[in-house]
Amino acid sequence: MTSRNSFWASCKENHRRRIWVWIVACLMQAVSYVGVLTVYLSRIRMWNAEGSYKKPENFQAALYLATQDALGFQDNLGIVIVVLAAMIGMQGFSYLYDRKKVDMYHSVPVDKNRRFLTLYANGIMIYLAATLLNLFISVIMAMVQHAVNGGVMAVVGLGFVWNFLVFLVMYHTVILAVMLTGSRLITLCAVGVFSLYELVLYSMGSSMQYAFFTTKDNFYVSHEPKLSVLSDYLSHTWEIKGMEEAKEMAVNVVPFYGKWILMAVVILALAWVSYRKRPSEAAGKALAFPILEPYVKVLVVIPVAVCLGMWVYSVGYGSKSLAFVAMTASGVIACAVMEVIYDFDIKSMFKHLLSSGIAVAGIVIVFFIFKEDVFGYDKYIPAEEKLESVALVLDSYPDFWDEDFTYLSTAKASEERMYLKNTAPVLALAQRAQQVEIEDMTDPRYVHVLYRLKSGRRVGRGFHVDFADPDNETLLDQIVATKEYKEGTFQIMTDEKSFEQVQAVTYSNGAAQTVLPIEDALALRGAYLKDMEGFHFKMARKNRPCGEISFRFPHWMTYTLQIYEGFENTIAYLQSKEAYYPLQLDPEDIASITVTNYHYELQRAAEVDDSEVAYDARSNAVVAKGYIEDYVVSETFYEEEQFAQIVPEIYPNMLSTPWCDYAEIDSNYDVFITFKKDTTYPYDRSSYGFSYQFFAERVPKFVDEATAMGADEE
Amino acid sequence: MIEIHNLTKTFEKIKAVDEVGVTIKDNTVFGLIGTNGAGKSTVLRMIAGVLKPDSGTVTIDGMPVYDNVEAKKQLFFIADEPYFFANSNAKSMERYYSGVYENFDREEFYRYLESFNLDKSRKINTFSKGMKKQLALLLGICAHTKYILCDETFDGLDPVMRQGIKSIFAKEMEERGLTPVIASHNLRELEDICDHVGLLHKGGVLLSKDLEDMKCNIQKIQCVFTSVEEELKAVNGMEVLKKEQRGSLRTFTVRCTREEVAARFATVDTVFYEVLPLSLEEIFISETEVVGYDIKKLILG
Repeated sequence: MTSRNSFWASCKENHRRRIWVWIVACLMQAVSYVGVLTVYLSRIRMWNAEGSYKKPENFQAALYLATQDALGFQDNLGIVIVVLAAMIGMQGFSYLYDRKKVDMYHSVPVDKNRRFLTLYANGIMIYLAATLLNLFISVIMAMVQHAVNGGVMAVVGLGFVWNFLVFLVMYHTVILAVMLTGSRLITLCAVGVFSLYELVLYSMGSSMQYAFFTTKDNFYVSHEPKLSVLSDYLSHTWEIKGMEEAKEMAVNVVPFYGKWILMAVVILALAWVSYRKRPSEAAGKALAFPILEPYVKVLVVIPVAVCLGMWVYSVGYGSKSLAFVAMTASGVIACAVMEVIYDFDIKSMFKHLLSSGIAVAGIVIVFFIFKEDVFGYDKYIPAEEKLESVALVLDSYPDFWDEDFTYLSTAKASEERMYLKNTAPVLALAQRAQQVEIEDMTDPRYVHVLYRLKSGRRVGRGFHVDFADPDNETLLDQIVATKEYKEGTFQIMTDEKSFEQVQAVTYSNGAAQTVLPIEDALALRGAYLKDMEGFHFKMARKNRPCGEISFRFPHWMTYTLQIYEGFENTIAYLQSKEAYYPLQLDPEDIASITVTNYHYELQRAAEVDDSEVAYDARSNAVVAKGYIEDYVVSETFYEEEQFAQIVPEIYPNMLSTPWCDYAEIDSNYDVFITFKKDTTYPYDRSSYGFSYQFFAERVPKFVDEATAMGADEE
Repeated sequence: MIEIHNLTKTFEKIKAVDEVGVTIKDNTVFGLIGTNGAGKSTVLRMIAGVLKPDSGTVTIDGMPVYDNVEAKKQLFFIADEPYFFANSNAKSMERYYSGVYENFDREEFYRYLESFNLDKSRKINTFSKGMKKQLALLLGICAHTKYILCDETFDGLDPVMRQGIKSIFAKEMEERGLTPVIASHNLRELEDICDHVGLLHKGGVLLSKDLEDMKCNIQKIQCVFTSVEEELKAVNGMEVLKKEQRGSLRTFTVRCTREEVAARFATVDTVFYEVLPLSLEEIFISETEVVGYDIKKLILG
């Protein structure tokens, strides 16, 4: 029997007044676990009845996965956890909002610490009991339906701890918010501020950097909130849920467990101190500690106003002055709103002008720090002697994969694999980028750079490089020709193991497609590696690929590599296998060529010209303005003679042309080639025709005339 | 004994209590009187340990009360609007308080409930304001604490109930030395209950005295003198707080004992004289007028 004064008696007594919380918590968790599991399992059974699972083991695996998804790392649970934490935390300590209740609770001979402990522990108990009860029911349900095994139970266990720790951090955050505020509405605002403040700061900083700094680039280095459990939860639940084995999940969740436990302890300690210091007269006020009011105002108003200003910037055609006006105006309004909230009185909006002034001044300072780049963000180029190595991605994004043949992010893979020691060309490129405006570049391409400093710091930047600039070409040549660049960009250079598992090898020149035996994969790789030894930037820039080879790996992962005219070993190997076909087509194989002229120059002229007509210089005709279709002229050619004039001047759209000059191609025209059905040319028979484009300035005259404006009406 | 020294409490630049010093002796009924906003509730909340004083001390039997469970065991605080749990009844409130107060007398509580015709199972939110105050008082009495602090608790109680509570107070004071501290803005309500009265005004104490002392030291005399000389002879040397004249009938309020009046008037030739009983209100009027306050404006309205 427990004593009337014991801790458990206090808990029991307190639970009597929290019955509705028990009921709501149980119902919410019933929907979250029992309800979701029921839906998932019945869906799997329905699909099975429809014959979606060819084998019984597939159906069984789907059942296990459904249980795992419903009861383990369910990404929809986040909102339920936050609502439960807010409800349980606020209800438990809600007496602090009401003077009548405070008068009673604080006058009775109950130790303040014990009251806190009782209310706190009861909140945890409510969550645990509601969750475990429903998890237990759900597991029994799943067992009855043969949808549980040891692995699933392990995931359910990991997911339970994952969710519980998130609840714990949020619960402590809510308690801290209750201790610092005096009304429910303000507590909810405080919970929002605590949970989202860091996210808002990052968002503010990031949007300001993108708006004001040309070298801002999140490709390699992106800052994620460190102290936001919600951000962690939202970013990683889905990722962990996607892992196949409980062991892998465990390895990934443990660091978060540690971090969240630490956060929970720190927040609880802050809540405890606030509870001890909180004056009874705080009931009903906005903030429990009036001394905090100006600080809170300044800290809340600045990011809110800056974010609002940046929103105006994003919808206001990038106008920085408009953003500034919006920021300061939002700041003034936000200060007034804060004062009204503090006093619950509209007449208080202009109180405490000093702190309002500081907040607005803070906004102005933040704006000018970014606008004037006070800390030299854009000018930052590390000194060569301080650099350990560099990684970079030039314009196009190479493919990378892991041992499971799952694509990896280009940024992550190149960061892990590229360590350029000769950093001087990269730094020179960065310096040259600062000297030329993008508008003055002929062929600007974006370059992502990661500077690894000897101090251990990592700095990510991005800038445009004019690929058409001969000096830049030389620098790029120095970078691309290095072994480190090639090994960090082309996985074929280092990964022999994957090529042992190739499932298909194909060659294409944009129209012809040949299949090589998979046994040739390693030999073909060997030939390609030899050619890569001589690969450099100018080779890719000045020469369009003459074909490409594709390797298909398990899980339908495909890796495509460009072949250039200078890749003699690769071409010779393909030729030895009778798989190589030159880029230029044989007119004898062609059935027809349809050329479409879009007359973009006329469309553009019509857009900028207010007159009702546009002038076509090529056809020497005046045309009426109209819809895009009015400018499109198509002509189909059937004569071999015509084919012979066209084919040397075209390039297939199907081939990727990284780093090549866009200006080499005339985008005004589409060339569509259909092959004769009886030809032996190994074009892809599943395609009706193949798309090409003319090289710039190389459109045959007869084609130009046939597709001039009005030519189709003659 | 409750000792209050230089107690000060400020709420957002408003000084609610300003250097209040009062001693509440055991086994007396202490009345704390003052207008709305005089600081009565704030003083009581500080005595109850709800509020922390900005400066000064409150001790209960020598123990500081704020955040001190042992001190709080000695008192029961009934706020001006007592709080009862949502959807609770007298029974559930008893269950809570009997868990909190070690000496809570459950049998006595249910006995009192019956005698006050309060249904133990009826939801408190269906009780009238007066019934709620009765229930709060009964809970406080049955908690068997040494001190019971009542903030405007007697307002709204009908005379029968007041009398009932008064009797219980008397009984408890006699049996176990209960010390009720009653705050009210209505002087007439305290008249028949209090032994000692403290008058609060604008956060400070104007007056704190035993009612008996006050009654003994202030006399109201109605008399008709045979001549003006006799009148002068009678009042000469006496501290006359107030003098009224209606024809030949004189009414004096004087500061002295009944014996002194008798001795003085024995030597004076009067047509008749009579020492009249003074109401608490009259005593207060006299006492506060002396220090320059118009009590009628302060309390009696």
